[in-house]
Amino acid sequence: MKKIIIGTACIMSTGLLAGTIYFEKSSNIPLPAAPPPVQEQALQSSPQPESLEPIYEQEPIGYSFQNDQLQITYDRGESWTEVPIEKEKLFQGEYGGSEQELIPNSYILNENRTAFLYTEDNGQNGKRVQLLYSLNQGATWQDAMVQEEYAPLRFRKVDFTNESFGYVIISGDRTMSQEWTTVYTTSDGGENWRETARPDTTRLIFDGGFVDKNTGFLSYGTINPEEPDLYVTQDGGDSWNKSNVLVPEKYEKHFVMAEVPFKEEDHLAVLIKQGPNGDYQGGRVKGKFISHDQGSTWEFSKEVDPNETSE
Amino acid sequence: MKRANKKGKKIIGWLLFLAAIGLCCVQGVYFLLENNYSVEYIDNRLFYVINLLIIVFMTLTIFLLLTIEKKWKIIISSFAAALILLQAGLMINHSYETKQVISFSPELNHQLVIKEDSDTSQAAYYRTRYGLFVRPKEDLPYQTSGDYKVKWLEKDIAAVTYEATDRTLHQYIGTYGARDGGISYSYVASMTRGQWKGETAQVTNSSEGIVIEHKGETEHYTHENMVQFGTLALVLMENNEAKWTIALNENFESNSNAPEPPAGEITLYKATMEKNDPISLEYISATD
Repeated sequence: MKKIIIGTACIMSTGLLAGTIYFEKSSNIPLPAAPPPVQEQALQSSPQPESLEPIYEQEPIGYSFQNDQLQITYDRGESWTEVPIEKEKLFQGEYGGSEQELIPNSYILNENRTAFLYTEDNGQNGKRVQLLYSLNQGATWQDAMVQEEYAPLRFRKVDFTNESFGYVIISGDRTMSQEWTTVYTTSDGGENWRETARPDTTRLIFDGGFVDKNTGFLSYGTINPEEPDLYVTQDGGDSWNKSNVLVPEKYEKHFVMAEVPFKEEDHLAVLIKQGPNGDYQGGRVKGKFISHDQGSTWEFSKEVDPNETSE
Repeated sequence: MKRANKKGKKIIGWLLFLAAIGLCCVQGVYFLLENNYSVEYIDNRLFYVINLLIIVFMTLTIFLLLTIEKKWKIIISSFAAALILLQAGLMINHSYETKQVISFSPELNHQLVIKEDSDTSQAAYYRTRYGLFVRPKEDLPYQTSGDYKVKWLEKDIAAVTYEATDRTLHQYIGTYGARDGGISYSYVASMTRGQWKGETAQVTNSSEGIVIEHKGETEHYTHENMVQFGTLALVLMENNEAKWTIALNENFESNSNAPEPPAGEITLYKATMEKNDPISLEYISATD
């Protein structure tokens, strides 16, 4: 009995000291275990300015749609700049998302340029396509007109290849699987926009882009494509020609949707992915093709594992 | 006589031994809950109090149940005394580090708990869980200057008035119940629509906001300046400071699904650090 009591006393003393040390270390006031529900958060007494959660474009740069106002941050949410635009103008047209995040490719958000492609009523039953942009991280804004009148947008993309040259690709007026696709370019940093010629097709556009001020691509076919349908311009959009993509027999019907070509060493390269129903090696493997003639013809290079690509 | 005395000593010794083990188990449960659910004692100092009891009980157990030499008695007593001093010292130190506000409701079934880190002046509001334990629910929105005034407006509504470090006055309302059966979320501002009159104040709640008439002064609060807590209370704000709290009394019935006006009373409580009493108001007429 003596041993039991002494033993227990020793264990208790040790536990007591260990427990006390642990308690001392952990007894700072913790934060609430879970943030209060939004509803209650909004009802807190004397609310301080609500802290916004950025959706990161590339840390530390991000944006937020909290309170239905587009705001941008360049310092992980430490400070925010309001973008002078109504939220709904960013989502007009054929868009079925939740409006919680910007439409991919419809904006540029980086250290040097912030730009948002949007549409607004032009007062003549049409839509005016505009680009709101800032070159000083939101301190001042310019609003450039890309197109005075256009149908409600389906596809929209804006990008710049350097400080001065940029492009806008939009599509609209869709009827079943046909639509108009238009490309605009700027050579003065976004102030003035010029409509280019358009390829001889009305298929639904999948993607497009320029690799420099002369060479650009438009890739068509989104519904059950049978083969890549890639058009190239080598004169800044004045003329478009169909690229000749040499798909090896083995990959025919598999690699059917061309992504936007990019520069690689001394040639151009493009990843061609499988269609919506693609099932080659699980459907995610892409084919890499390269071109030595500025995109006119493309030769198969290799299969690319999805982990190696940006997707 | 001597034998009975010895037996009594043994019984007490064993009871103390069991009590010490029981208290150790309580501490064990605490660590378990603290680790898994961020639970704390309602008052952090309870940890030290329980430790002190364990030390005292265990020391007495040894003296009552075992026959030990004088030398060992001195060693054990000294060790126990050292432990007691350590725990007491830490407890006093903790009182300085963490300011705690604990207030029991009139019927003792609810506890309002606020703990403030003295270094950062950041305070958190806690909800009670599992009797002795509490869990942090949310931080008070402003750093506090350290003074709190707690007033239970009803058995289930506690108003905490405090001054922020920037000298602005705020109210945080702890609510522990509901009205109208509590079947859905309800809005105090719309439930109290109408004209209410008390001994020294009158409240007119209409679609344009709430007008308070008190001691000859009239104050108007728009809906943007109202902050609701739970489903029982509304704080009226002006220039980012709390001015009044409107709370639903226990006998309040909104009758929102019936053509009758609200029944029962509401309470109007001024935000001030000075001592003041809530004003009870009765419904007198409808507004637009």
